[in-house]
Amino acid sequence: MASVWLAALALVLAGPVPSVLARAQWPQRVPRAAIVLWQAIALAAVLAAVGSALAAPEELLRALGPEQRQGTTMVVAVAIAAILAGLIVLRLLGVLVLLAVRTRRRRARHRDMVDLLDRAERSALIGGGGAKSVLRVLDGAVPFAYCVPGRAPRVVVTEAALDTLDADELRAVLAHEQAHLDARHDLVREGFVALHQAFPVLARSRQARDAVGMLLEMLADDAGRSRCSDTAMAGALEAFGAAGDTEVGARLARVRAQACGSRALATGTYLAAAAVVVVPTVAVVIPWLAVALPAAGVLR
Amino acid sequence: MALGELERAVMAQLWAAPAPLTVREVHDRLERELAYTTVMTVLGRLAKKGVVRQERDGKAYRYTAASTREQLAASLMLDALGDVGEDRTAALVAFVDQVGPEEAAALRAALQAGPGAVPPPAAAMPEVPQPRTDGMPSGPERGPES
Repeated sequence: MASVWLAALALVLAGPVPSVLARAQWPQRVPRAAIVLWQAIALAAVLAAVGSALAAPEELLRALGPEQRQGTTMVVAVAIAAILAGLIVLRLLGVLVLLAVRTRRRRARHRDMVDLLDRAERSALIGGGGAKSVLRVLDGAVPFAYCVPGRAPRVVVTEAALDTLDADELRAVLAHEQAHLDARHDLVREGFVALHQAFPVLARSRQARDAVGMLLEMLADDAGRSRCSDTAMAGALEAFGAAGDTEVGARLARVRAQACGSRALATGTYLAAAAVVVVPTVAVVIPWLAVALPAAGVLR
Repeated sequence: MALGELERAVMAQLWAAPAPLTVREVHDRLERELAYTTVMTVLGRLAKKGVVRQERDGKAYRYTAASTREQLAASLMLDALGDVGEDRTAALVAFVDQVGPEEAAALRAALQAGPGAVPPPAAAMPEVPQPRTDGMPSGPERGPES
């Protein structure tokens, strides 16, 4: 039964759960806890799928009876289990490695160019403004700010952004980007990007990736709010946000409402995250191992 | 002097010059205590990065910026903006990952602006993905030819 339970769990965690969670409003109140919950769900879904693939042939064999448990049946069963579980794991690992290489190459290239283009005279002026990372100023008429994560991170703003934002708003934007860099939000994001690239259709991986992306922005917004003020953060979002951008709209509404997290909600979310991983392990995987391991010993 | 600063100074000279420069000319314009070979090395590095083009002129090489400052800046912003949708890789994280149609048009115009002989920086930056923004036809190279 373990394989059936795990398969069902994997399906639920890959489909309905992300759909519901992506549409819910409450995670925006506790972005950090909500991101941990998303990670727990993703981890549990992958583990359940792998576990189900491993358990199914073993349980089938055990159901068949002792006389059929040798020779080719055994080999075929083990092979199927290994291939199924391996496909999931290898696919994910392959995508992850490829993505990591491409991401880092693109970043290195981008960092080189940003360093070349830096308006040194302007970045030196604001460089002491509290930002820990190297700041680069690009010329250009479009107000824009972003960061290049990694081991030699860069915070990049355009001259138009410097002209548009007031001092407080600029500090809020820099604090926002610095929060991304300090907490390595890019690694969290990369994990969900890889998950979506590896399993783009069957699982609701796109919703997961986009929801986590927005929660990370909100988490960084909170850093900007606490370093500066709600007003400054809202002003910066207004200055940059394109009309009709729903993500910016949600972030702005949240900052304007001065939303602050509830400790109870955060605790509940962390507990849910732990439960998603621990409960199936204790309830399904350990009982299965308790039966399967001795049985495998008998088989040999 | 840091290598990065030197590269920036050399690029500034190339961007300011009306015509391709020889190593000697770059060296003289820098007005710093630098060895000729240092300038040559820096130009070689920049050429390797694809931001500087090298053309043979008789015995000497002449160097020119592969794209204007504005074009390069616009291509970087499009690179950062391109990190959304299906192409999302988390390589760059924008404060706001969408710009309005007017801003997108301004970026595209900046990419196309400059001397006609200059190829779009997409050639220099082969990994620039297709930007996805509101009301913007995709791809820097598919726009109207300038």
